[in-house]
Amino acid sequence: MNQAINAPRSYSPSRTYVLRTVGFMLFYVLVSVLAIAGLFDSLIGGPGGWVIAVAVAVPVAAQVWATLRLMADSDEFVRVIVTKCFVLAAGTSMVLWTVWGFGEAYAGAPHLDGWLIYPCFWAAYALVSPFVRTSKL
Amino acid sequence: MKNRLRVLRAEAAWTQADLAERLGVSRQAVNALETEKHDPSLDLAYRISALFDRPVEAIFDNAHRASTRGAPGDSQG
Repeated sequence: MNQAINAPRSYSPSRTYVLRTVGFMLFYVLVSVLAIAGLFDSLIGGPGGWVIAVAVAVPVAAQVWATLRLMADSDEFVRVIVTKCFVLAAGTSMVLWTVWGFGEAYAGAPHLDGWLIYPCFWAAYALVSPFVRTSKL
Repeated sequence: MKNRLRVLRAEAAWTQADLAERLGVSRQAVNALETEKHDPSLDLAYRISALFDRPVEAIFDNAHRASTRGAPGDSQG
């Protein structure tokens, strides 16, 4: 039997993904905490406030990049599982946010800030991922 | 897709992790193949075929070939 089709891989895409995720989330939390602590009070309310808004959004974009890298570096099974989880979580978040948005307009629902869609996405991801166990649709 | 991967792996006395390492995929991928939760790409099927030195159809059932899906008239020889 052929014993070595491919050399053993010491590189773990999942571990790299987790490390990147932790780093990006720490940055997200850091900027948010500093803003809440009042460090950026001189910027808030003016054009400089956009710098803070973009700074918080950068790790979100970076997280999407990390997910794409995970998909590119993983094997075909993991790639499909991650894709399915991402689509289901994004779809769930969009549906919930659409319902709530029109609920605010038509049913007097209390206002929720737009940034909440990101934690909503990850909550949805955590919810759907235990049920995604097959690459088949 | 029905397959003989678990049997072949057992014959080689490999764990799922051993096979995964030889194929360059995750252990989860091997488990998904064995439990028919993942149909391999042609590339992965060829890699498995080469590893066990058997034709692809000796490992994975070809449901589209009459001889493996019990076509009418099979039992009549």
